[in-house]
Amino acid sequence: MHRQFDRNFDALSALYEFAEQALMAHDIGEAVRFPIHLAMEELFTNMVKYHPEGDRGIGVDLDVEDGLVTVTLTESGVDEFDITRPREIDTTAALEARSPGGLGLFLIQHIVDSLEYDYRDRRSTVVFTKRSGN
Amino acid sequence: MFEIAYGSDGEIICRGRLDAAQCQKAQSFMDLVEGPKTLDFMYLEYISSAGLGILLKTQKRLAGSGAALRIINVNNHIYDVFRYSGFHAIFDISARE
Repeated sequence: MHRQFDRNFDALSALYEFAEQALMAHDIGEAVRFPIHLAMEELFTNMVKYHPEGDRGIGVDLDVEDGLVTVTLTESGVDEFDITRPREIDTTAALEARSPGGLGLFLIQHIVDSLEYDYRDRRSTVVFTKRSGN
Repeated sequence: MFEIAYGSDGEIICRGRLDAAQCQKAQSFMDLVEGPKTLDFMYLEYISSAGLGILLKTQKRLAGSGAALRIINVNNHIYDVFRYSGFHAIFDISARE
């Protein structure tokens, strides 16, 4: 399934409904849908926040094959931003030393099974997979 | 859909999905919170890093006056997010039974 979403936070509800429809059609359980929704939101909002120069739309593809969920987010007209670069966050730090910065990409790297980034001709493509167990 | 409001016992009840699109609503509410408070997540289905940021900002502000947030009835998916983030060490969190 493919759909194009406007580059703004208001598109998040439509993004959620798109993913929910695709995942439910394949009987993907909540334990897998939750991290997929989370990874999709974190990647999408990252594109909205850090690539305001990009083209208006962000493309999202969601496919399920042999129990493997593959999600692809694509945007054009943007600078390079490698979301696979390791994000080091001290999750044991005391409250006064904690900052929310970078937490989204840090989380993604812990909840998906694979994460890839490709950049060429000012076009970014992010692909992540999550095994459904189905 | 996300809603936040005080319950009858003074607890803060969160309902729905706390994503980046709902952060302004949550932040505006939490900015007015004073003293120790309990957040009831019984009806909260989802939270992303945007919501975690609001909790963290509020907890840091309250710590300045010796107060803290307590979070109860957390579903297992949100609890996992707290655990990955290390939030279970800086918040008093109890899982949904």
